[in-house]
Amino acid sequence: MSVVVAYKWAGDPQEASVGADGSVDFGRARPGISEYDAVAIQVGRNLADALGSALVGVCVGAAGAGAPVATKAALARGLDRVLVVADDSLATLGTAGTAQVLSALVGQVGDAQLVLAGDCSTDVGARMVPAVLGGTLGWATVTDAASVRADGAGVVVERTLAEGAQTLRLALPAVVAVASDAAKPQAPGMKDVLGAGKKPADVIAAAPLTPVGDGETLSAARAAAPARKGVVITGDAATAAGELVGALRAAGLLDKAGTGR
Amino acid sequence: MSRSYVIAAGHAGVGTLVAHAAALGGEVVALVVGPRDVAERVAAAGVTRVVWFDEAGGHAAEAFAPAVAALVGGAPGHVFAARRPADRVLLGAAAAALAAPVVADATAVADEGGRTVVTRAVYGGIATRTVAFDGPVAFCLDGGAAGEGDPAPVERADASPAGIVVTYLAPEPAGADLTRATSIVAVGGGLRAREDLALVEQLAAALGAEVGCTRPIAEGLGWLPRDRYIGVSGLRVAPELYVAVGISGQLQHMAGCRDAKTVVAVNTDAKAPIMSQADYVLPADLYELVPALTRALG
Repeated sequence: MSVVVAYKWAGDPQEASVGADGSVDFGRARPGISEYDAVAIQVGRNLADALGSALVGVCVGAAGAGAPVATKAALARGLDRVLVVADDSLATLGTAGTAQVLSALVGQVGDAQLVLAGDCSTDVGARMVPAVLGGTLGWATVTDAASVRADGAGVVVERTLAEGAQTLRLALPAVVAVASDAAKPQAPGMKDVLGAGKKPADVIAAAPLTPVGDGETLSAARAAAPARKGVVITGDAATAAGELVGALRAAGLLDKAGTGR
Repeated sequence: MSRSYVIAAGHAGVGTLVAHAAALGGEVVALVVGPRDVAERVAAAGVTRVVWFDEAGGHAAEAFAPAVAALVGGAPGHVFAARRPADRVLLGAAAAALAAPVVADATAVADEGGRTVVTRAVYGGIATRTVAFDGPVAFCLDGGAAGEGDPAPVERADASPAGIVVTYLAPEPAGADLTRATSIVAVGGGLRAREDLALVEQLAAALGAEVGCTRPIAEGLGWLPRDRYIGVSGLRVAPELYVAVGISGQLQHMAGCRDAKTVVAVNTDAKAPIMSQADYVLPADLYELVPALTRALG
């Protein structure tokens, strides 16, 4: 069997610029393996080593996701090979369409039994791709996994949710999204980087299916930052603290404290 | 759309979802996975009827994803779910069955002449889009508090869980729900040591506030549990008062607190991004200012 990791090649919106018309330009945002997907690759590497199985990366994105710099960055993190659908027409693919294309790539892997994914993407952060991917494949799906280990014909997942700690047993095939602290991704060393160039990277330009659209955009705008007063309070700590407390009290913000319990 | 679905896995916090579903017209069908009493609480949340997937323990709610998908796929409609782990998985399965687009960033939803028009905050809220959909849409939103209404009928679904067995469960006492807190004191990378959290906790106690944090404090350093992490991949909060202590104001974090009514920023770096996004800006050392603030409140 193969263990598959779904990953994204994404830029950080912190570094993107937004035009007055609401257009978002990632031109200055240096793309990379989406931060949490590096965690999933590390979890996958550990698991594949324990199982003696291959670790395959699948990815969909704009043309940049298929460039050698992108595939090598993914392979250097420990994937054995990657399957990438990369075309600029897919740059704005929505959550559901992304999951559909990834599911088709998982099918192309052939003997995939387990798909791992990160907690959320750097840029969109919807946290929904693993769920839709699992639904599209019709596989058992859980998220927020703090650990994943093989156990006979299944996997055992530990996780901590607001309700408490759980240990789950999933029959394979399954999709598991890992928590952001499920593993500490190791920065690729020189050997990993050099080795990445020798590993197979299958890049295709056309999606293997027509993905679900993401609606018809009627209008776009730059987000209005919330209006803030911007009152600057300086002076020594006691004076500044007193001034702030006075202002908060005058605004009625110290009367209605409650903790939401 | 003649119907909308509201998904709830083991909880009844569906007030906001029901309000959105009702505004789009048609019947509102709640799909509840969990014990009977949860199904009955959701039945009193303003829905038309409840389809109850009996999960009395032993299986994760996610084990009902195929059953939920089959039901929704057989009678399409919009689907709403809260930003919770099991709810997201059930929503994803429903979206896949419908081949429906998924919207996890909606700030407004309306029916306009049969089209569903959605305002979305994209890429962590740096831009907005108004988007129209013609078919069913899967929405992931804040669930809200329990809704109120007359009790609706509860029908037990004829469905079995598949694939996911719970082998160990250690329930935790319910923690604070920061999404409902009136005041929050949040701490970031300006804090030098874990012990110094005491300073922040004392301030929070004096304000009657909950303590929140940025991602590195929860995930990198592990000084606070992850359910206190505010940011684009963590909690989205909207308290009356948000006191940001030692937080630089990265987009990743600010996306989680942009709906706070009043923001106070304490940071030694007067040029930190948060200093231009606050109502009260205190360019000061938190180690001096926070204790002074606690004293001034006491």
